[in-house]
Amino acid sequence: MEFALEPQVRAYVEALRDFGRTTIRPLGIERDRIGAPTPPDHPFFTEVLQRGLTRAPAVDGANGSTGAAVLRVISSQELAYWDRGVSSSLPGPGLGGGPVMSMGTPEQQARWMTRFRDLQTPRWAAFAMTEPGAGSDVARIQSRAVKSGDEWILNGAKLYSANADRADWIVVFATVDPALGRAGHRAFIVERGMPGLSDPRPEKKMGIKAYASASFTMNDLRLPANHLLGGEAHYQQRAGFKGAMQTFNATRPAIAANAVGMARSCLDEATAFAREAALMTPANLDRLEFMRRKIRGAWLMCLRAAWLADQGAPNMVEASMCKATAAEVAMECASLGMELLGVVGMQGEHLIEKLFRDVKAMDIVEGTGQIQRIVMARHLVNYPRD
Amino acid sequence: MIDFTISEDQQIILDAVARFVRQELAPGMREAEQARTPSPAVVRHFEALGLMGLERPGTGLGMLTRCLVNAALAGGDAGAALALDRVGPAAHALLALGGDDLVDAIATDPNRRAWCATLADGQFRIDDKTIDGVLHWAPGGVTDLCILLPDGIALVRDGLHDERVRGSGLRAAAPVRVRLDRASLAQFRQTDPAPALDAARLYTASLLLGVLEAAASYARTYAQERVAFGRPIAHHQALAFLLVDMNTAVTGARLLLHDAAWRFDAGYPAAEAIATALAELIDQSRFVGPNGVQVLGGLGFMQDYPVEKYMREARALGLLHGGIDQARADAMRATGTALMAGGLI
Repeated sequence: MEFALEPQVRAYVEALRDFGRTTIRPLGIERDRIGAPTPPDHPFFTEVLQRGLTRAPAVDGANGSTGAAVLRVISSQELAYWDRGVSSSLPGPGLGGGPVMSMGTPEQQARWMTRFRDLQTPRWAAFAMTEPGAGSDVARIQSRAVKSGDEWILNGAKLYSANADRADWIVVFATVDPALGRAGHRAFIVERGMPGLSDPRPEKKMGIKAYASASFTMNDLRLPANHLLGGEAHYQQRAGFKGAMQTFNATRPAIAANAVGMARSCLDEATAFAREAALMTPANLDRLEFMRRKIRGAWLMCLRAAWLADQGAPNMVEASMCKATAAEVAMECASLGMELLGVVGMQGEHLIEKLFRDVKAMDIVEGTGQIQRIVMARHLVNYPRD
Repeated sequence: MIDFTISEDQQIILDAVARFVRQELAPGMREAEQARTPSPAVVRHFEALGLMGLERPGTGLGMLTRCLVNAALAGGDAGAALALDRVGPAAHALLALGGDDLVDAIATDPNRRAWCATLADGQFRIDDKTIDGVLHWAPGGVTDLCILLPDGIALVRDGLHDERVRGSGLRAAAPVRVRLDRASLAQFRQTDPAPALDAARLYTASLLLGVLEAAASYARTYAQERVAFGRPIAHHQALAFLLVDMNTAVTGARLLLHDAAWRFDAGYPAAEAIATALAELIDQSRFVGPNGVQVLGGLGFMQDYPVEKYMREARALGLLHGGIDQARADAMRATGTALMAGGLI
């Protein structure tokens, strides 16, 4: 066993840290005050691309023995420490990249992924599963896909799709027959500006305001057959739903690492406040110890889930465990941080107050804590699916 | 780098320990508790395994291996594990006092037994030459008592009087209260007692981990077999989530312990990580121990099943060396508080 970072990884984290302090955090606070996502033409996005700090780790191959998944939780943790909303706004394929890479044909991968290698122009992609009537129970999605000659026709509504307002394309999940449940799911690439696609509208959120969680509708949206991810053959193996789950399995440790970063931010702010205000009372020391201990445990869970992914080993339980744990830890740390601030927290001006609003999302996005427990229960105690 | 692999050397040792636990330690759990000692056959086989003092730096195994071994032993019988290892949590204190020779002298002499106590484990009056008072709990038959003092470590070898106590758990270790009656402080070494305390904490924390692993695992297996309201009780969501949370609690504490032990072995500042791991294990023992019993319902309360023993022993192990209060205070006092060894994160 070994639990330390190599020099190259340390250097990468240090670069993230510098950029986080000077740019990411101030931008996150600004967008929180304004209450709207960073506009896509903001110079921040060009700068972030040029610095090679985009969401997918841009440092593969230069890091000795640290695998891509471990590197990703490390970068996710550090970016969210400075601002989780801003880190989610970074250009790149985002959650849309997973399905294209795991389900798409080589042609589709080339067509929709190659563009992200260009580090001059900020580009985004998005992922759309959630609907007004289907959140955790994704098998219940109602968006319909009907084959008509060489085309697919999509109708339905999607909610809370990250960066969909600026995405070149969106991976949209729709069903060919709701009665088929997961087996009826198909994943499509919907491109910006296609007739029938409404302008994705950013929702008003409690926190993490620097990126858009956008909702849109599809009205007789016509897609060429080659926009079906993986082609027809892929779904004859009834792999549609698995494609989406694959995405979550790979990204949950990174989301959990986001939560760890935010929790660590709460801890550092709370510690600094207690020191400055001479509030290192026994009660506050207890709060700080609890925060630090829980953060450390959640962080090790993230590393382990990611390390397993890098080994090509099953990590379903570990991925769900770190996601469920880290999100709860982050919420608890923010709540304890508010307790430590006392009435100062009520002013709504301290960073911990912002974090308190931001972190709640972490126990909801990409599978709530309850869903994560169901996933773990299936593996640990053979909990039935239906 | 980040690497969670157990080394080949460690695995060879763990395989041997697992056989011993499966074939002898676990099956004899209740008899050992009743007799207040493991059977002579179990003692013989344990001595042959050569595990005493394996955490010494010279062996190349270290505290991480000790933690892996202890968790496996405690999964069989934590009380017996304490009884069997006569060097026990005192290995690093003994090293500071008398080097490998002292550890070897105890490990090879069946009539000697060491123990490591802190001032929080009893009430003591100390003057220049003697120590009086009471150590509230120790395994029976201690001949070499290391006491961690603020400015050093004392080795007490005379004036120790065992008084048998019933024991809330860990009865196979023949628990006693030790009266110190003008015990000589002749063997005192002025040194930083922190490494000895760190090692002792890792020792007991890993026993605690083993008990929690056993409790969570037993409850999980049972809940998949026991049927209520037409299905295994594990398939009722209230219990499914409880079992999942027990598994998560144990996993998180295990990771903290392994990280802390690795830091200790690698020479990083480890006091905070160790105190943190211990605090988390004790914290989670209050959740996992009683819920191990809860999952089995009435059966769990009966001594026909091991979960009530796990609950008692987990609670008992968490009280040593000042328990969670001291661990939390030490965690907040210590330096080297970064999430990862070497700082940065």
